[in-house]
Amino acid sequence: MKPVPEKNEIILELKEVNKSFGGLLAVNRVNLSVNKGELRALIGPNGAGKTTLLNLVNGTLPVSGGHIFFKGKEITNLSPHRISHIGIARTLQITSLFSGLTVYENIWTAVQSRKKFFNPFIRALKWQDVKEKTESMLDLTGFKDKAHLICSELSYGDQRILEMGIALSTEPDLLLLDEPTAGLNSQESMALVKKMRSMLSGQTIILVEHDMGVVMELADNISVLHYGAIIAEGAPDVIKENEEVKKVYLGSEHA
Amino acid sequence: MFLQKGKSFGFILIFILILLGLIIIPFFVDLFYQTFLTELFVWILFAISFDLIFGYTGLLSFGQALFFGLGGYTVTILIRKFGLNTELSLLFSIIIPILFAWFVGYFSVKLTGIHFVIITIIFAIIGNIIGDTWTSFTGGADGLTFSPPPYRLGLFQIDLMDIKGNYYFVLTIVAISFLFLRRMIQSPLGKVFISIRENEERARLIGYNVQRYKLIAFIIAGGLSGLAGGLYSLTLKYASAGYLHWSVSGHAVVYTIVGGMGTLIGPALGAGIVMSLEHYLINFLQTTDLVVGIVLVAMVLMAPKGLVGFIQSRFKKGETSA
Ligand SMILES: Nc1ncnc2c1ncn2[C@@H]1O[C@H](COP(=O)(O)OP(=O)(O)OP(=O)(O)O)[C@@H](O)[C@H]1O
Ligand SMILES: [Mg+2]
Repeated sequence: MKPVPEKNEIILELKEVNKSFGGLLAVNRVNLSVNKGELRALIGPNGAGKTTLLNLVNGTLPVSGGHIFFKGKEITNLSPHRISHIGIARTLQITSLFSGLTVYENIWTAVQSRKKFFNPFIRALKWQDVKEKTESMLDLTGFKDKAHLICSELSYGDQRILEMGIALSTEPDLLLLDEPTAGLNSQESMALVKKMRSMLSGQTIILVEHDMGVVMELADNISVLHYGAIIAEGAPDVIKENEEVKKVYLGSEHA
Repeated sequence: MFLQKGKSFGFILIFILILLGLIIIPFFVDLFYQTFLTELFVWILFAISFDLIFGYTGLLSFGQALFFGLGGYTVTILIRKFGLNTELSLLFSIIIPILFAWFVGYFSVKLTGIHFVIITIIFAIIGNIIGDTWTSFTGGADGLTFSPPPYRLGLFQIDLMDIKGNYYFVLTIVAISFLFLRRMIQSPLGKVFISIRENEERARLIGYNVQRYKLIAFIIAGGLSGLAGGLYSLTLKYASAGYLHWSVSGHAVVYTIVGGMGTLIGPALGAGIVMSLEHYLINFLQTTDLVVGIVLVAMVLMAPKGLVGFIQSRFKKGETSA
């Protein structure tokens, strides 16, 4: 069932990763490898453990067992800010922005996070390289005209895009996206997918997503999580026809 | 608002005008008002140091009284018991509170929300109890008096026993501190603090070591609160355990909320307004706290962003309707 990684380079590898909350095994002996440049969709019913798995990868939660390797180094249980610097960025299921700041400030703050020392005696705007990078990120995300809006004034769809822009501004080698289309109608979802295609080309991504249309459109490979365990893995066409996956999604409107 | 160049010219102009005004005022008002203004400057420094930790970093610290009291006692005891000179004593009124803020902050910044508030109150209460009971060292509630020796600074002969000299001395240090804080807020470090206030989780996710930067903000605010305490002692030639009472932090909370948190200028204005109000009301009221309390509640209800926020929103409305 497991796709043999071709001569591709593995960037993220999970080995026998567990997470329990009290008696609940939210992530159950997960083995997962993601190749560089791949867009891996992570699907599964509500409560399957998708968000928890992302939380383990980026250090938001400690694992209960197992090991996580990124770019060949073990990153198990490192803190989120360190993992960010090692190259993993993250968006959350519930939009998480610097909501009182402008779009420009949101992107700026993410761009300057790559700096080592935050001099308290210079003006931030003296950092020409940060400024240029911020402006190029505004171009890429299409926020040039909205740069000086407070981000809570943006439409919900735009907020989802901005959050990706923030994550992207940290120049990650791996992007973890937790249901970017959650709360969007189908029209907005399609607009977001289009945006993602242009914004995220070439990125290595783990995409948690409920919308099967979006998954089929974007994913190179799909891993299916059910009660914390991976029950199927493969190319979209293969997963679509998988009997076990069909069974899991039976009665659910997503299938 | 974040990175605009034009505004800084306007700021410098206004700052210089206000400073010039404050420089000539002592020639027109009597000693009583000179002392009143000197104390106001001290409370402005205390309020803006609080604004750094609360208004910009989002941490409601009631521990600032501890650092204020420590600064006051550092100056008082170093001069009175150890005969140290004024300028070094004042330097230590920054350093000693910084060391304590490091210690207190180390434990406090691990907590969030109400837990953070409570632990800072507890540290302040402990400080107050020690100050109250260790009377041989602190003078307890009666306090300690001292006389700061005059000294030369370049061309200037600085004599803090002279009320006007004291006025200019405090004004200078508070003005420098204000500029220092303003620059820091505009600096990359300031942006980190603001990001923590806006969304701690997001700040962490993009790679900021949130606890470390909270601690840094706490230490800087502690040092400046200490400096305010040191200047207060130098102005009154006195320190007592009352300086350490956690309710002293409450002054900063009131000034900051009335003036507008996260603006620096707001807490400064707030201090001016509330202290003037108290000064005026004391003539015919036993206690002014009630009125200050009413003003505070009114501000919270009608202008939650304080006076500065209120003025800004008015200004914006005018802009868009024009
Ligand atoms: N911090 C936590 N403490 C206790 N239980 C948790 C915690 N986080 C998640 N869980 C539980 O773990 C299980 C997996 O939750 P998780 O959020 O990972 O699911 P999910 O696949 O992301 O679901 P959804 O599609 O609804 O977002 C659920 O039963 C959830 O209640
Ligand atoms: Mg989830």
